[in-house]
Amino acid sequence: MDFLGLLLKAGFHRAALKRYTGFKSSPYTEGALFYGEKLVDASAQDAIRSQAEHLSEPLTEVACEPGST
Amino acid sequence: MSPEMTEAEIRQIRTGILEKYAKVAVEGAGCCFKYPTGKEGMTRQGYPLEILRDFPPEILAAFCGVGNPFGLGPLYPGDAILDIGCGAGVDSLVAAHLAGPGGRVVGIDVTFAMLQQARAHLARLGWPQVSFQVADAEALPFPDNDFDAVISNGVFNLTLNKAKALQEAHRVLKPGGRLMLADMVLVAALPSDRQDQVANWYQ
Repeated sequence: MDFLGLLLKAGFHRAALKRYTGFKSSPYTEGALFYGEKLVDASAQDAIRSQAEHLSEPLTEVACEPGST
Repeated sequence: MSPEMTEAEIRQIRTGILEKYAKVAVEGAGCCFKYPTGKEGMTRQGYPLEILRDFPPEILAAFCGVGNPFGLGPLYPGDAILDIGCGAGVDSLVAAHLAGPGGRVVGIDVTFAMLQQARAHLARLGWPQVSFQVADAEALPFPDNDFDAVISNGVFNLTLNKAKALQEAHRVLKPGGRLMLADMVLVAALPSDRQDQVANWYQ
């Protein structure tokens, strides 16, 4: 599961990679800004986690692995 | 964390990260990164002008973030904010400036040498609403629903168990709280001869 999927699985809603920062720590890695919110309605969080678990296709965003900062 | 990673590899990664940031603490942010650090880095990432103008130069010089998490939305006066992997504390102090004297900011890091720098920077400003402590992103020593915002800058890519760290960030946020995160992502496939290198984590 990629990083956005992990955000959803953790219960965040409105999870998104908002934009890239332009800072590159290597030819293969670039800074990016991620955002998420904790829902006020706790019952809805279960639905978000369920949504992450049922992702059948990988999201387009890449995961934060490996390091390099 | 890769499921096939051995205990020895995990220890090597943790040690490598600690050694790298101990070096950063001694030699400064300019020693170890391939992107702009210090005031130049903050300027390029659009940090607030009053921060760049008013913060002591030695604090600005310690910035080694990969982005500007404050560009993701506002912090409000009185907010309680957790900075995961605060390093030398630059973003924690920016957050404290934005949240004002009625706010509360806690910076955590696993590198004691960086926290010493953060505490020295805090002492320079004398803001009682800020504190720094040793803690791991995967086991946050805070109660549920404690913070209005969690910020982090270039840290989750160094976290072995990202799922656990994100669950912890979610747990300590109040309902309606915001995660504002800058980090490194892969934008191209690693060469085949580098894909399995443990040293990728901290070089």
